[in-house]
Order: sequence, then C-alpha cells, then structure tokens
Amino acid sequence: MQQTDKQETDNRQPRWSSRSLGTRFGHNIFHALIHLGGRRLGYFALHWVVLYYVLCRPSIRRRSYDYLRHRFPNQSRLSRYVNCYRMFLEMGHVLVDRAILGIMGPENMEFTIHGRQELLDLVANGRGFIMLMSHVGCWQVAVSALNFLKIPVNLLLEQAEGNIDRHYFEYAGVTCPIRIIDPGSYLGGTLQMLDVLKKGEVVCMMGDRVFGSKKSCLQVDFLGENASFPYSAFKIASAAGAPIVVFFSYKTGYDSYALKVSKIIQVPEDLGRSGESFRPYVTQFVNELELYIRGYPYQFFNFYNMWQ
Amino acid sequence: MTLNEKLKTIIIEELNLEDIRAEDIEDDAPLFGEGLELDSLDAVELVVQVQKNFGVEIKDMKEGRLAFQSINALRHFIEERMAP
Repeated sequence: MQQTDKQETDNRQPRWSSRSLGTRFGHNIFHALIHLGGRRLGYFALHWVVLYYVLCRPSIRRRSYDYLRHRFPNQSRLSRYVNCYRMFLEMGHVLVDRAILGIMGPENMEFTIHGRQELLDLVANGRGFIMLMSHVGCWQVAVSALNFLKIPVNLLLEQAEGNIDRHYFEYAGVTCPIRIIDPGSYLGGTLQMLDVLKKGEVVCMMGDRVFGSKKSCLQVDFLGENASFPYSAFKIASAAGAPIVVFFSYKTGYDSYALKVSKIIQVPEDLGRSGESFRPYVTQFVNELELYIRGYPYQFFNFYNMWQ
Repeated sequence: MTLNEKLKTIIIEELNLEDIRAEDIEDDAPLFGEGLELDSLDAVELVVQVQKNFGVEIKDMKEGRLAFQSINALRHFIEERMAP
C-alpha cells in the first residue's frame, strides 16, 4: 500500500507554495454563507465541498498523501480516502473559523491559553522572543489571541502570487493588528527580526516551512523518516539572545480553540554558522510537533512533501 | 593586517566558506546575492561577528543595506562608528 501511495504522489509539487487550494469564487460563496447562516451553514456546506475535492479532484487529494502515508503507514486505500476527507474537513473548519473571527468577531470564539503566565514572565524579562508555530490548528487564531501580551507582535509571512486566502483582519476590514515581515525582503527580513527582538518584541514564524535556501535546513527524523526543517529561527534566536516559544493551537470543539505553550527552548549564544550546532534545538521543536500530530493527526495541514 | 583583510578573514572563517581565500574577495564586490553566495543567515552571523570583534552594532535593515554592500562599505561603516 505504501508503494501505491508513493507512486500516486509522483506528480506532487516539488516545493511548498502558499498558493490557495480553492478558488476565489468558492471563497466568496463561503463568505456569503457565513454572513447568511453563520458557522453552522458554513460547516454544513463544507461537507459537500470536501467530498467533491476528495472524490473528484485527485490532484488536490494527492497533496495530502505524503503526510498521511507517514502518519498512517498501514492505512488501506479506503482509510486513506477517509483520512484525506477528515484532514480536508478540519482544514475547512479552520478556514471557516478564521472568516468568522473576522466577520463576527472574536467573541464568537472561545480561547483557552495554556502557558499564559510563562508568556507574561518572558515579556516581564524585557527581552523579545520568537513564537515558533507550525501549520497546525488555526495559527491565525493563535496570533490574534496575543493581545494580552501588550507588546508589538510581528509575523514572518509570505504571500505568494495566487494566494487568495484572506486573513481574519481582512474579513473584519480593519488595519492589520500585527506587523508583517516579508521573507522576500532584503536578506529575508532577518535584520528586521533581529531589530525587533532586541527591542523586546515578539516575532511569530513557522518552524515547518523552508523559505529560500535549502542551505539553512537540517534533516531531522519526523514521523519515521528524515524531513527538512529550517534552523533559521534558532540562528536568529541565538544571535538576538531571545528564547524560542513553541506555540501550537488546536481546535477543541465546535467553537473553541486551545492555545498552548508546548515548550520554551533556550538557544545558547555564539553557536556559529554551522547548521549542525542547532540540531539539538531543532530536534526539540520537531519532537514537540510530532507529539502534537500524534494527538491531533487531522489538524496538521501539510500539503507538500517535506520528506523529499 | 588591514581592516579589510581582517574582515575577509572573519567572513571566511566564521561563515565556513570553503575553497575561498582572502585574495579571492574583491573589496568592492557585493557581499550578498552573488559572488560569495552568502545568504540571510550569513548576514545574521556577520552582524554578530561585527559586534563581537569591533563592538559595532548593525541595528536594522537600513544600516545593513549600507554596511553589507561590499568589504569597503563594511570597513567604512565600522570606522565611522568606532571613531571617537
């Protein structure tokens, strides 16, 4: 079965892209449905849309196979379809929730933050920190819930051409409450990140996506096979003397999310340029991510082959 | 050793550049984007090394653009800030 999975993923995209899976028309329909019938109608329509993608759009369906093959190595052909359906459905829930957050406001969402005091303690130290997240749960919910820190929050975010997903603040029609750092800007935005960390601010970034050069990646065991993970965040943390907070969100109910400080990683200063120096810290992050995925397998939204 | 030579040695040793000698690095050649093929994390390390070796801080992107144009530009940047 694994062999079949592997063959079916041959047509996959070689690299991750932030291009949306859906169409602008589809997004607009969901936007209208949420306006008309709220979350309930959005979720209802989602079942049919997801079914269509799973059964009738094999090119889209295949994008989930690399991850599902690693997470469920013994899955049958039928269970692969079911897993794909569940993964797409969770992804859809997150997209609907993100729209609801913007259209109907955060009062329509229940957040529980685990590790709030640890975050406040870091802020009280006066040093900036990196919140290292992943494409799990709804990271936008996580970022939107950081107001209580009362310090500026920056987000490293690539917006590829063709990405039509709207962020919650765009739905709300308000100014972006967070500052965006573009990884496509001068030197990948690294100097900007160093600057804001030294000022005691927060930088949010994804620990499971490779931007730019593969030179800044390490191969780390993830779900039984080596996968590429960037060590950029750890290098920047080391240079700025800033801790790394591994921060994940997960959907816990119909209208509720939990946000959790999974681990705080202290990266020593003066580790140099070699990627190998950062391996123990990257591995800590990957282990936390794997732990999350063991508990919430359908909330890891991975649609490219990171094991390639 | 001149400041330019010292900077080249730091770049080669601290950024682990293999098969490159100090005399291969031109004083006016861009440090990033071509030639040495340095990347954004090399820039982070260079910021650290400039502070460690010369006590000079490259504070933001604006200063980085100025300092990282070439070896000569970096030398000027350091000399200006080290001047009493």
